[in-house]
Amino acid sequence: MDKIKVERNRQLIEKSKQVIKEAFKKYDPSKCAITWTGGKDSTTDLWIIRQVCLEENIPLPKVITIDEGDAFPEITDFLVSISKKWNIDLKWLCNFDVLTACLSHLGNTVQLERLNKRNQEELKRIEFTEDSFVFEAESFAGNHLMKTVPLNQFIEESGTELLFMALRRDEQTARKEDDYFTHKDGGYLMPEHERVSPILHFTERDIWDNTHLHNLPYCQLYSIGYRSLGARSSSNPGDISIPAWEQDLENVPERAGRRQDKEKMMDRLRKLGYM
Amino acid sequence: MKNVILLTIDTLRKDVLGIYNNNEMNLTPFIDSLSKHALFFDRFHSSGAYTQASFPGILTSSYYLEYGKPKKLSPRRLLISEVLQRNNITTAAFHSNPYLSDFFGWNRGWDTFYDSMQDEVSDMIPYVSGAQVNQKAKLWLEGYIQSDATKPFFLWMHYMDVHEPYIPKKQYLQYVDSSISLKDNEMFDLFKNTLLKRDISDLKKVEILHTLYCAGVRETDEYVKEFFNILKQSKVLENSIIIITTDHGDEFGEHQGLSHDGKFYSELIDSPFLIIDFEREKKELCNNLVSNIDISPTILNWFKLPPEDKFEGQSLLPLDKYHERGVYGEAIGKTGNHEKPTDLPVYYYREDELKIIYHQEGELWEIYDLENDPEENNNLIDLHPKTKELKEKIYPRINRWE
Repeated sequence: MDKIKVERNRQLIEKSKQVIKEAFKKYDPSKCAITWTGGKDSTTDLWIIRQVCLEENIPLPKVITIDEGDAFPEITDFLVSISKKWNIDLKWLCNFDVLTACLSHLGNTVQLERLNKRNQEELKRIEFTEDSFVFEAESFAGNHLMKTVPLNQFIEESGTELLFMALRRDEQTARKEDDYFTHKDGGYLMPEHERVSPILHFTERDIWDNTHLHNLPYCQLYSIGYRSLGARSSSNPGDISIPAWEQDLENVPERAGRRQDKEKMMDRLRKLGYM
Repeated sequence: MKNVILLTIDTLRKDVLGIYNNNEMNLTPFIDSLSKHALFFDRFHSSGAYTQASFPGILTSSYYLEYGKPKKLSPRRLLISEVLQRNNITTAAFHSNPYLSDFFGWNRGWDTFYDSMQDEVSDMIPYVSGAQVNQKAKLWLEGYIQSDATKPFFLWMHYMDVHEPYIPKKQYLQYVDSSISLKDNEMFDLFKNTLLKRDISDLKKVEILHTLYCAGVRETDEYVKEFFNILKQSKVLENSIIIITTDHGDEFGEHQGLSHDGKFYSELIDSPFLIIDFEREKKELCNNLVSNIDISPTILNWFKLPPEDKFEGQSLLPLDKYHERGVYGEAIGKTGNHEKPTDLPVYYYREDELKIIYHQEGELWEIYDLENDPEENNNLIDLHPKTKELKEKIYPRINRWE
């Protein structure tokens, strides 16, 4: 790799480390948690946080991953093997009650009456009024129950005050102006906490340069063409059989293979005068 | 076998089309120019008054509340694209309506499905324009032509440009009413402060909103023209049957409202429906009382496929075989732009020149004699001798999914 790239990489990591150290000044590591999906961004994020902890003698905060019930087996294997390698006690968050109700099968219908009280109340909170829904990780009800609810529950029960995230500014134009730290007010949808994204300034290209420069592990799905990994049913490879880092990262949207975020769609409806 | 193209223009009122209304507005010169090849229907009805309520009729030949009130398309519904794809017909869809996006389950059965949801849009124009939808279709058509192209295709195009927030391009506003010169942000304020609030107290503002709407129609006519040129250049125009229609109309104070809420008056559900076929040499008007649930069965008929059990409509063609049996529709009786979980259904049924509407909220009934009261101002419930008979048509539909 050429010198300019190596120097750029050094600066990017240095900036991330500063943000991480600032976070640890504000919050005790025991009140922090790192989110890790097994994707390229959160793996990079975790790798840098882990370095800071090792260098500064700080205990590594809790590391959590959310199992939406529709994970790629390749991702699950990756999380298990890297946890061992990096000696991480990974905490798996999962809304098992929903999985039980739909017999762990995507596309099955979940009857609300078969869910526990907490899940039923959660659906009421998002004004979901039907008697049943089809289990899909990225449907209205599924998204809330499988992602938001277990995360909220974890934040509440563990007393977490700061979450390490792995958002990047270049992922979406909407993130262009994002700050490293964002405060989430305790509203009716989530408990109050702070979020920090130490790799906010990395581009998709920077992530791959860093991965290759430092020999970071990555899930094999990236080498067969996936550029962005979400739930199995909603992710598709970009250019099939071309490794992610060899694709046209600069001109083709990273999430072209991902189904749109719910927020983006809701935003469109709002602009059209609905909601 | 001919290709079939379904061109739906969101929120298109019937009365703005020259073919239905020889007025001086001249908002749709291109669509009107097609009329000599058109079979057009004068009593065509939308089965819902807004996108989510109407499109199940168009693409699945079933009513909005058939399976209750799910936000996503029920897996039990069968899309016309699924039937055609299974029968070896190439299917493609290009549109920009979030309610019809893959998020809501409308992507089933399409070989190519573009819903624009990955694209960035602005507040002022919160969708991809007709011109951009055309470009997507053009690229797809080029690919189709270059491939063996032996399979016929079914292409669905949907334009959003008429839909609020009503911020048309300047030249079209100039065309419709040169006395109005509003800046984009002034139009946007009208959208936010008048339309979204359903505030009809200032008639002048309502009139301006209508003018802006008309400018959007004029603009969209250009996109239709451009699309037909693309079809011509791709040499598929002569070999295609093209439907032009809408999902629902729009209200400008006719029944104390704006936009399109859960109501069933004619400004919202009396919709334009044209079949363009260049083999046809003469304009023909059909007076059959028909519904948008008849669209998918008609498409099956064109592709010489047998009827589908799950489709509730019937083929519109041949015209003399069409069995009139009244038309139905349903929606949620929301007023305003936000549907609340507690909002209840509204149903309508029309036969001959009589329409009955039932609001589950408050158990309110309305009957209109459309022949003598086309504006639907004079509720004849309990006065009209057919009240009981018409109510009997509605009863079986109430809460039938429970």
